Amino acid sequence: MEVIRLNQVSLWRRTQEEFSYDLKKTVLSIAEGKFRRPAKKQVLDRIDFVVHAGEKVGIVGANGAGKSTLLKVICGILQPTQGHVRVAGQIAPLIELGAGFDLELSVRDNIVLYGVLLGFSRQEMKARIDSVLAFSELEEYALVPVKALSSGMAARLGFAIATDVQPDILILDEVLSVGDESFRNKCKQRIEQFWKADATVIVVSHDWQFIQQSCESAIWLEKGRVKQFGDAQQVVEAYLASTWTFRTQETKS
Amino acid sequence: MLLSTKTNRSWTEFQHYWELLQVLVSRNLKVRYRGSILGVYWSLLNPLLMTGVYTAIFGTAFAAYYGNSLLNYVLAVFTGLVVINFFSACTTQALWSVVSNGALLNKISLPTSVFPTSMVAANVFQFIVGVLPLLVIMTLINSRSLLNVLVLFLPLISLALVCLGIGLLTSSLFVFFRDLPYFYELTVFVLWLSSPIFYPAAIVPASVRSFLILNPLLPVIESIRQITLSGMHPDFHLIAQALLTGIIFWAIGFSCFRAWRHSFMDLL
Repeated sequence: MEVIRLNQVSLWRRTQEEFSYDLKKTVLSIAEGKFRRPAKKQVLDRIDFVVHAGEKVGIVGANGAGKSTLLKVICGILQPTQGHVRVAGQIAPLIELGAGFDLELSVRDNIVLYGVLLGFSRQEMKARIDSVLAFSELEEYALVPVKALSSGMAARLGFAIATDVQPDILILDEVLSVGDESFRNKCKQRIEQFWKADATVIVVSHDWQFIQQSCESAIWLEKGRVKQFGDAQQVVEAYLASTWTFRTQETKS
Repeated sequence: MLLSTKTNRSWTEFQHYWELLQVLVSRNLKVRYRGSILGVYWSLLNPLLMTGVYTAIFGTAFAAYYGNSLLNYVLAVFTGLVVINFFSACTTQALWSVVSNGALLNKISLPTSVFPTSMVAANVFQFIVGVLPLLVIMTLINSRSLLNVLVLFLPLISLALVCLGIGLLTSSLFVFFRDLPYFYELTVFVLWLSSPIFYPAAIVPASVRSFLILNPLLPVIESIRQITLSGMHPDFHLIAQALLTGIIFWAIGFSCFRAWRHSFMDLL
């Protein structure tokens, strides 16, 4: 069964540097006849691929190749300028955990808030407060405002909420490094559990060994294009080979 | 089959929106009042204090326009102030709502309009708990008619629609223009002075008065005063005018927001 399908997806984004955020400047530049429409840059270029249920797909590529942007398009955060994205099932985005917390609210309230932001219902989240607290080992802090937690604790909480229910599709931006050693093992176990339990996983990582070991297929992105899509071993090798020739050329010159 | 999955989907989307609205409003109120219900009544302090100040300064000078009654002047100022306070609180908070949640919108796919809407909804809740009982009591004493109390909700609904429309508009404009708060503060001040809150509309020269019609709050204030203070049957002509203004402003705000929201993500 197809879970994710990207059909000729292109994305153009405004470059922020030259854009004036000022009403005053904009009005004045129009008055002086100097107004230009903000320039746009192509970030993704006609991307096509299909992911089937239970598949684990790694995305590799240099910095700025559009890996994180591609994840955002799959999650529905960015709308493609052209093309279509089809996703069947619930997505759990683990892109930098804890973005939805309100620092003033208690841990309990934040569990409900963050869960609803992720698309669960309030009732569901209220029923899950205890299991989230147990997994994140924050039972004693249930009524404490989140601002009193350490950053590691907050990340633990974020991970626990986002993964309390097994999602159909798990999106990982970089392999997780949450909290201290013991919690990191716990996270790993939970992710491995998803891995075995037939969840569809898309992971962006610079850790190519991890992708070769844990993913079946891989996508190599270069300057917003799919350079290669196929068996993880081959794609990663090809990607590494390209960086090697690039480096040897550099050392020669 | 295709149709049913489509309606199902929009139903779950609506449910998600509703859930989001509930958690965001309750977060807003919790942070604002930290669990003390009495905190809502702090919001009454401002209009009551200002009513006192205006009455002390302008009361005797303007009483002649209010049937030579200082009490009528006090009530007229109070009703005007609660409307303009509600408006400025709603729209100013809504203005920041999209930009300040920018980091979140970059991480999770959410219906953007829920942020300005939740700001207006939180203020509506506060209004219902704090100010509305006072307005209802005033209406009952002055008109002795339940019809007036029931009808009172119509101009209030139109007030909420005006605020929602302008809130959607300012929140989306703020994404593009980060110096907007400065201009918006000026706009609110102009609206504030051009609404007959502490002065009778009759003192404005006739040539200027026709411009006051542009003020979206004018029909709302007039209609609320007519229902709560005049002691007469509600003037449905005024109510219709208020509702129409509300719908127009909501429609403008909503369509601008819809048209622009796709460009938000590049700038947040």
